[in-house]
Amino acid sequence: MDPILTFVVILIGFYGLSTSTNIIKSVFCVTIIESGVILLFLNLGNLDGGSIPIVGEGITMIADPLPQALMITTIVIGSTVTALALMLCIKVFHHYGTVEWAEILRREEGK
Amino acid sequence: MLFIPVYLIFIPVFTALIIYVFKSKYVNYLALVAQFAMTVLLIMYYNAYGDQPDATLFVFGDWDARVGISLYNDRLSLSFMFLTIFTWWMVLIYTFNFRETNEKNDNFLFFLMFLQGVFLGFLQSNDLFNLFVFLELTTILVTILIAFKKTGDAYRAGIYYELINVSGVLFFLIGIIILYNSFGTINVLAIQQLLEGLPDYVALRMAYIFLMIGASVKAALFPLYTWLPKAHGVAQSGISALLSGLVVKGGLYLFIRINDMFSPANYSYSDFFFVVGGITAGVGVMFALSQKDMKQILAYHTVSQVGIMMMGLSSLPTNDLFYGGLYHVFNHALFKSLLFLGAGVIIQAYRTKKVSDIRGVMKTMPVVSVLMIVGMLSITGAPLFNGFISKTIIKYGIYDQEWKYWILFFVNIGTATSFIKMSQIFFGPKPMTILLSETPQRVSMIIIAFSCVILGTFYIPISTGFFGVDLSYVSPFGLLPLYDYIATLTIGFAFYKLVIEKDVKPVRMIREFKVSFETANYLMVIYVVALVTYFIIL
Amino acid sequence: MTKHLIIIILLGVLLAVFVVAMQDVQILYNTALKSYLVEGVIPRGFEETGSRNLVTAILLDYRLFDSLFEAGILLIAVSGIIWISKHDIEEKNAQFMYDKFKTPDLFVTFSRLVYPLMLTFGFYVIINGHLSPGGGFQGGAIVASAILILYYIDHDKETNIKLIVTVEKFLYIAILLFAGISIFTRGTFFTNFIPTHYSYDVQTIYLVILNIMIGFKVALGLWAIFTAFLKEGR
Repeated sequence: MDPILTFVVILIGFYGLSTSTNIIKSVFCVTIIESGVILLFLNLGNLDGGSIPIVGEGITMIADPLPQALMITTIVIGSTVTALALMLCIKVFHHYGTVEWAEILRREEGK
Repeated sequence: MLFIPVYLIFIPVFTALIIYVFKSKYVNYLALVAQFAMTVLLIMYYNAYGDQPDATLFVFGDWDARVGISLYNDRLSLSFMFLTIFTWWMVLIYTFNFRETNEKNDNFLFFLMFLQGVFLGFLQSNDLFNLFVFLELTTILVTILIAFKKTGDAYRAGIYYELINVSGVLFFLIGIIILYNSFGTINVLAIQQLLEGLPDYVALRMAYIFLMIGASVKAALFPLYTWLPKAHGVAQSGISALLSGLVVKGGLYLFIRINDMFSPANYSYSDFFFVVGGITAGVGVMFALSQKDMKQILAYHTVSQVGIMMMGLSSLPTNDLFYGGLYHVFNHALFKSLLFLGAGVIIQAYRTKKVSDIRGVMKTMPVVSVLMIVGMLSITGAPLFNGFISKTIIKYGIYDQEWKYWILFFVNIGTATSFIKMSQIFFGPKPMTILLSETPQRVSMIIIAFSCVILGTFYIPISTGFFGVDLSYVSPFGLLPLYDYIATLTIGFAFYKLVIEKDVKPVRMIREFKVSFETANYLMVIYVVALVTYFIIL
Repeated sequence: MTKHLIIIILLGVLLAVFVVAMQDVQILYNTALKSYLVEGVIPRGFEETGSRNLVTAILLDYRLFDSLFEAGILLIAVSGIIWISKHDIEEKNAQFMYDKFKTPDLFVTFSRLVYPLMLTFGFYVIINGHLSPGGGFQGGAIVASAILILYYIDHDKETNIKLIVTVEKFLYIAILLFAGISIFTRGTFFTNFIPTHYSYDVQTIYLVILNIMIGFKVALGLWAIFTAFLKEGR
């Protein structure tokens, strides 16, 4: 059940991406999709409910470490993507005075 | 010898870092040294392993290939690597001002060289998650390079490019997740072996679809192409040449690789992607005809040419049609970068991008004009130039199916019309003030123009050397291809005089038609559902 | 409105197909992945890499190549953001905001209290990355957020962003070279350079040093990113 719920999070992100008209909201939607993907992988990586992937005495059942390692990479990549997008967003605002996609298009043609 | 792939990835990365850290004009020449070293290494590697791909599997740290990250090279990736290094040579010679050192140049060279390392890694990687990392790195680097000019529309194109590509690549990641949870490995070759003899699972089809969406977004196929004209239109000319010539082909390379990986599953993808390619080609040409901005025209032509490549590549790798598409990838890389570089020189001299305002290029810049004409002849498919060969192979491949043939025919006429329109810049009176550019820019253009002609005439040994196919049945000599070409040009000219030059209402309407960001994402969701419908529900 | 309805229906189709796909994944998981997990990384990871934390074993040994580019992506983003944020052309709509509101005194006091704790915790996570949950990337983020708290304590703090980025670049070169040492000792790229016949304690040296380097690099990178954003706001 959990993987499906996380997929719903991804779909919510896509719903927002294809309906919101604001750049900041679009950036947030991409972040939501990314969180959904990370949750999905972590969920699927521990379907049997093991403990943290650290080898020690008395631990028999541990979670799959590979998804966790890959998701650290994804989180780092995601944070840089968000940071770059937000900086571009600030710059777009400085140039056009708005962060609405349609409004930017209108102002560009008006020039 | 076995470590050469690693060196090829890290030489440009180290060069980029050293240039960025030690700011001196002499250090900048290191880029050329690195480029030369990479060329030599790649030729050595090709001679050693060109015909035995199984020996090239290289796992980092000598671990089990299912756990570690591995690199793998076959003829396809090797030929793409040759193309990569060649394009970077040209762009480096064209864009970089070696005599000066300032922050802008250092930053630019840093991003450019780093992108080369990343792209070479992307071509060789045999690990799906590693591919994802390289895709994201490419996205971020290209975003920075697009926004590098620091103008308002550059920022807007940058953020548009970044968001839509990242959401596409996240689909790719979902595909990886499904595959990992099905097979327990993300090694491409291992998955290919594990797929052998498996029953038809919905999950695997789903993974295939999600991986395909990543490739389609990167390759700018029909409903997802909207980022391309924006991004390639506003970037610096050298960067536009790089993006159109090479980075877009990354998506097509991914397409070939994924199809190769899923080849044991035997999904019948040919028809779907042929139609997508056809629509892409048609839509690209339609928008290109209506544009007035020189770089926008070229950018929309990239969309349409990607469609033609897709028409070829969508067929099974055993057909000749496939090699037509593959050969077109290489030809397009050459002539489109030539056209973009030439457009850059002309725009720099005339300080305007509008085709209707530029006149008399033949008188002011004869060399550049001749080179641009070579590019135009290639893209329209004139005999003896490289565009002719690949278009003819595709034409032969779809000869028996009439509707496919007509798509290609209309796209060819549209391309001819559009370049007749653009060729008006050569005629007319000489303008008063122009700003002449430097020689290095011409040097790189001359080299590309020569390679266009060489690929158009010595295609038989080249194609046997790189792809192992015999193309001797295509002949650019004789009267039939010439008549064919002249007929296309005539129809195109008539169409130009009757419709395009008068700027009738439908043309204006197409020009003013703009896709906003949320609609682009809407189209992406529709594309996903279309793929799901075709591959799973039907 | 119809637009919203259509998109909901389309996404519903995707969800339905995904639900079906998940059942297949369960079947495939039970046949293929489980057996792989039993004989794969989990039992061998500690013996091969000397790291009790298997996530660190994967990040710093099995898939070090990925991690190198993961560190590189941060460097690229930092240099890209700094290049983009530079004001060297006129921006007519640029409105510079000043921090008009003073940070509450209570918050400042608690920040002073928490700051050393967070810094210590960050270093602990970095250094013990091979034994307990954590590692260079995670610890680096904690250290960076500790530094971010400094900005709440002292508004007018000036940071030399150029120096940070220069140090970060040298660190990245150092990480690449350090990861490449294994070519001389073990004859292959990007793995632990200490040969496997040494004891686990000796192998740990490599993990600790690499974790510290990556941790510092990540901390510096995030610090540079939010300094660029703060400058944009001032």
